[in-house]
Amino acid sequence: MKGARVAVKDSIEKTVLNILSKAIDKKLFDVILIPIMVPAGDSYAWVLAQDKSLLDSASSLPPIMSVQGAKALSSVTRMGKTNKKIAALMRPCEIRAVIELSKLSQIELDNIFLISMDCPGVLPLKDWLKDPTKGINSFRKVIQRFVDGDPEPDQSVRPVCTICHRFYDSSAVDLHIGILGKKGEYIFFIPHTTQAETIFAELGLSFKDDISHWQNGVDEVLKQRKKKRSLVQEELKPEVIGLDKLLDTFSNCINCHICQSVCPICYCRQCYFDSDKVKQPPDDYLMRAESKGNISLPPDKILFHLGRMSHMALSCVGCGACEDACPMSIKVAQIFSLIADRSQELFNYIPGESLEEPLPLRVFEEDELHEVETP
Amino acid sequence: MKNGDALVIGAGIAGIEASLLLAGAGRKVYLIEKTSYIGGNVIKYEHVFPNLECATCMVAPKQQELLGNENIVLLTLSEVLDVKGSSGNFVVKVSKKARYVDLITCIGCSACFESCPVSVKNEFEEGLSERKAIYIPCNGALPNVPAIDTKNCLRFTKGENCQTCKDACMFDAVDYNQKDEELELKVGAILVATGFSQYDPGNTPQYGYGKFSDVYTALELERMFASNGPTGGKIKLKNGEHPKSVAILHCVGRKEKGYCSTVCCMYSLKFVHYLKEKLPEVKIYEFYSDLCAPGKSYQKFYEEMKEKGVDIIRARELKVAEEGKGMVIKSILNGKEDSLPVDMVILAPAIEPREDAPKLAKVLAIPRDEHGFFREEPYAPVATPREGVFIAGCAQDPKDIQDSVAQSEAAVGRILATLRSWKG
Amino acid sequence: MEEKIGVYICECGPNIAENVDIDKVINVVSSLPSVGIVERHKLLCSEDGKKFLKQSIQEHGLTRLVIAACSPKQHEATFMKVCEEAGLNPHLFQLVNIREQCAWIIEDKERATDRATRYVRAALRRIPYHQPLEKREIDCNPDVLVIGGGITGIETSLLLAGPDRKVYLVEKTSFLGGKLREFEKLAPGMESTDKLLKHKIKNVEESENIKVFTNAEVKGVIGFLGNFIAVVKTGENEELEIKVGSVVVATGFDLFDPTKIPRYGYSKFDDVYTSLEFEKMNLNGKILLKNGQPPKSIAIIHCVGREERGYCSAVCCSYSLKFARYLKARFPDVKVSNLYTELSVPGKVYQKFYEETKAMGVDFIRAREIEIKEKVIKYLTEDEKEQNLAVDMVILTPAIQPSSDASKLAEMLKISQDEKGFFAEEHEKLGPVSTSMEGIFIAGCAQGPRNIADSIIQAEAVAGKILSSIIPGKKLEPEARTSEISEALCIGCQTCLEVCAYGAIYFDEIKRVSVVNEILCRGCGNCAASCPSGAASLKHFTATQIHQEVVEALR
Repeated sequence: MKGARVAVKDSIEKTVLNILSKAIDKKLFDVILIPIMVPAGDSYAWVLAQDKSLLDSASSLPPIMSVQGAKALSSVTRMGKTNKKIAALMRPCEIRAVIELSKLSQIELDNIFLISMDCPGVLPLKDWLKDPTKGINSFRKVIQRFVDGDPEPDQSVRPVCTICHRFYDSSAVDLHIGILGKKGEYIFFIPHTTQAETIFAELGLSFKDDISHWQNGVDEVLKQRKKKRSLVQEELKPEVIGLDKLLDTFSNCINCHICQSVCPICYCRQCYFDSDKVKQPPDDYLMRAESKGNISLPPDKILFHLGRMSHMALSCVGCGACEDACPMSIKVAQIFSLIADRSQELFNYIPGESLEEPLPLRVFEEDELHEVETP
Repeated sequence: MKNGDALVIGAGIAGIEASLLLAGAGRKVYLIEKTSYIGGNVIKYEHVFPNLECATCMVAPKQQELLGNENIVLLTLSEVLDVKGSSGNFVVKVSKKARYVDLITCIGCSACFESCPVSVKNEFEEGLSERKAIYIPCNGALPNVPAIDTKNCLRFTKGENCQTCKDACMFDAVDYNQKDEELELKVGAILVATGFSQYDPGNTPQYGYGKFSDVYTALELERMFASNGPTGGKIKLKNGEHPKSVAILHCVGRKEKGYCSTVCCMYSLKFVHYLKEKLPEVKIYEFYSDLCAPGKSYQKFYEEMKEKGVDIIRARELKVAEEGKGMVIKSILNGKEDSLPVDMVILAPAIEPREDAPKLAKVLAIPRDEHGFFREEPYAPVATPREGVFIAGCAQDPKDIQDSVAQSEAAVGRILATLRSWKG
Repeated sequence: MEEKIGVYICECGPNIAENVDIDKVINVVSSLPSVGIVERHKLLCSEDGKKFLKQSIQEHGLTRLVIAACSPKQHEATFMKVCEEAGLNPHLFQLVNIREQCAWIIEDKERATDRATRYVRAALRRIPYHQPLEKREIDCNPDVLVIGGGITGIETSLLLAGPDRKVYLVEKTSFLGGKLREFEKLAPGMESTDKLLKHKIKNVEESENIKVFTNAEVKGVIGFLGNFIAVVKTGENEELEIKVGSVVVATGFDLFDPTKIPRYGYSKFDDVYTSLEFEKMNLNGKILLKNGQPPKSIAIIHCVGREERGYCSAVCCSYSLKFARYLKARFPDVKVSNLYTELSVPGKVYQKFYEETKAMGVDFIRAREIEIKEKVIKYLTEDEKEQNLAVDMVILTPAIQPSSDASKLAEMLKISQDEKGFFAEEHEKLGPVSTSMEGIFIAGCAQGPRNIADSIIQAEAVAGKILSSIIPGKKLEPEARTSEISEALCIGCQTCLEVCAYGAIYFDEIKRVSVVNEILCRGCGNCAASCPSGAASLKHFTATQIHQEVVEALR
């Protein structure tokens, strides 16, 4: 595979935004979907920008993920295709969520051009809120360390980001911008579709350069991340295996269901676990109290989490939006990623990797899952 | 106005399918069955090829539907005596033997069997076990109501006043006063679906059937493997031990009969699955002449069975002989004489028409071909020269279950097309 | 209106009574809410029992009914009918299996009684949530669309057509007759094909009730059993809309392309022909080599493409015998050699056909690794010896495969193809000509390789299925226990659509929600099980009904 090596001027961010700005000038895209710093300066919002002057306050790798990018894109194209060409610049996990939502008919990808960048992670919202300006500065350092090739993940990012093993491109993206490998001197524009090649060729980019530096950079980081991921997950297991442990871990949960509302994969209009189907007549609860000795209320807290897990784990992209939003700081993302990894393995499925690969639960194959048969 | 009702002779899978379709079209169907049970040969098999489905589970819904269908009059223990008339206006005389057990009050609890003093070989179980003179051929046979075998019951053979079955019945369902009947049925069309019999390998003594104790026919193996069979599904030699090696010999009677019976290669491969399921270490040898596996699914089945572990051997002049305490298969293999010791031999005998086919052909005034199968009209595979009389299934030509079902549906097509307007 | 539930426990003779303490069950159940009456009976499925039930329902004014007896598979339909006759909606009834699931499998009477009680309590907890589902009736159009004008399509059309049932026969070429048009004779009788085909085609063309469209193609089919609308392209720019109640796919076969196996020398060397090419040559009376001379030595190669396709095409051995006879009839001294792997001559007639053909002096050689070279064939014999056979003409018998437009049709009709591309029948043994789409049938080589007699059987079988189910004036009664999708809750992810095996769910592009076609729905519940939000639910098996039953059974 080849790419286009682009020299960095000022900063990686400015270089990327410059190129995108030229793309708008040349009408290669009609609109760009990108995070833009809000006027108050303390947050970032997804904006569908037609006016390229907005790009001045845009960020290709914002320090926080206020809304998961896939959610933003789905709010535009859930009800149908767009006629205008939209370029969406997102983090790899957001792209993956977009691909998954597309398979669920929640995003129509026609006329959408997906661009991703290598991602060092994102700062937790609670930390950011304490001092956004400090946050901006510290995140710059995070990016710099990442780009310099330090394989150790920065501890200031979301816990799931520190163990992220999908921080680079998904094969389903149109164009990926690789920032690793050349210590920030150069970045690599890597096209995955002919459309990407054609469009960016108009900007003078020729995709003939060797990208092995970037690939090596990614491999270095990936090696460490995989190790760390398995270590952290092994440590987490004893905290969550068995109903008692699970109850302990979720004892602080206040049933707000925010994890579900910020999750990009949780697309249902009304969550099953908020519906009438889980509401029983009073006798039921009294019966349960009688037979078990007691019942905690509101009931079925763990059922919600386990149910949500069984519904979305196969598509979980490990973005961590859930854990970040949780007011009680429960390790939701870490726990869900642990299960997601194991269940995705079972079906040999990588969420967001390929548009053509159907969701495992929709496909019936006669010859599979022998390992779970009773001997 | 023509009579749109139908007479179906034979309650095997073809007869059952045709009856259900005709009843669904609003026609009245008289389903004549010679034995006391429905299902024919198919319910003798535990599994069917190529999907290895449970045969009884597969036909159970159809059997239940049949028994509950108001348009179908099931006449078991019955035979057709005479047919007069023509298409749209047949008058059929049927002899209906008494069952001596009331079909409605009996609940099939089998209390009457235990006390019966008479034991005879059970034909359904291919003689591998015995039944009483009041009997249901096997567990699960439908209707789940026993019949009294007047050829062996002491009341009928010796005039004795034995009443053990009647006394054992809590519902007073045993009724010695039932009488054989002769019925006159008016129908518009007749379908012959009497199925097949297994060629008797006693006619080809080189296979040692009846001579050596562990030479079995295909149907005997089917009953042995069947979970509701005489051995409860255990595959054992006559001395009670498990066989360590089994030879399956194809084409038994092929030369003598002069045709290929179509299904034996496939069920012989199915037997590999049977044997390996019960005896994973058994060594299996299939002796064949030409592999007959036509159609889109059978080659795959052949390959899957092969993978289970079987030696497929093409050899000529097969003989089963005694050697020491056991048997050997003698053959000409690759031009040389060969001798293979085995513990058990299973024969795949030809499929032939039923013993009473000549009689039935005469009654129906329809011809049979040189092999004794009912003869179809050229390029009209369900039609006979007598308008209004149709044939389907193995009664016409050896074929597998799928083709028998298709042919019975074809016969229904013809019947409904020719008797479009009818009284009823 | 106050609920009054009747509970009846069947003794089933000694079957249940001996193994379950029925009185104990009655004791427990009588005190449960809304239970109006609990009684036991010797045999509820008997005529006497059914009469008793009907009377009881009416006398006591029961609003719901629970029967504890045998398996629903056995008598659910029986008791539902009794409810109907008694004026009680048959879905306000639950049959509890305390025979196969209790009395017959638990030896200890106390345990069996406990379980029976549990199951009855569970049913009583479930039944208040039952809905009085209504029976539905839909009109059905008796007319038929037959796709494919070969022998199969012709045969089925002739049987189906009548004054009360029109048949529309669509053929993509200019002629009826399919592949048979090019065969001079038919095995095994060696009669002229004309005898079979000519009068059948004449009957089709002259029939008032069959409309034939040649040079026509089916462009689309929408609808369901009894109510299909097909769009047929009949000319350059002409499209016709045809309303039918059922569709028959009889599109026949194509031959495997032997160029895919270079060692057969097809289109490489002169005088290597496929079976269809040879039939044509024979029909035209011109069995000649490229140099214009008659052939002196011919080899017929069996099983071309068998390994690649993975199945035996069923007919090649028999038609090879026919070819040998064509050749011997024209050129009595010609040498004919058949190179085969397994000789497949199933059935009562073909073995004799083979033996008599062999007796005419035709050679049969079991051969492997066949390589066709210029005027010579190299092969390995059974005992691994290399042999050469000098020939001046080679006839290949390529595998029979589904016709090239099979996939397009499968998609259009929403029917499945098996892994070889043939249309998939509903059930491998018991449903040879139906598909999982009710009202759409398949027959002939479109379903799998078979000979003419068997294709005719399948054509007539389709007629049998259609004539017995889609009857003019008869109303179709679709399944009452179908699925439904809440428009308010559905977010259009189409997971239900993907897992529906019956094509019973369609996507409303405007509302962006999935909708169930209640007539095609068979009530399997796949959609309800796969819907994460619970927007899809199955009538009579709702989450609440099942939950209540299970919770009580486990308490």
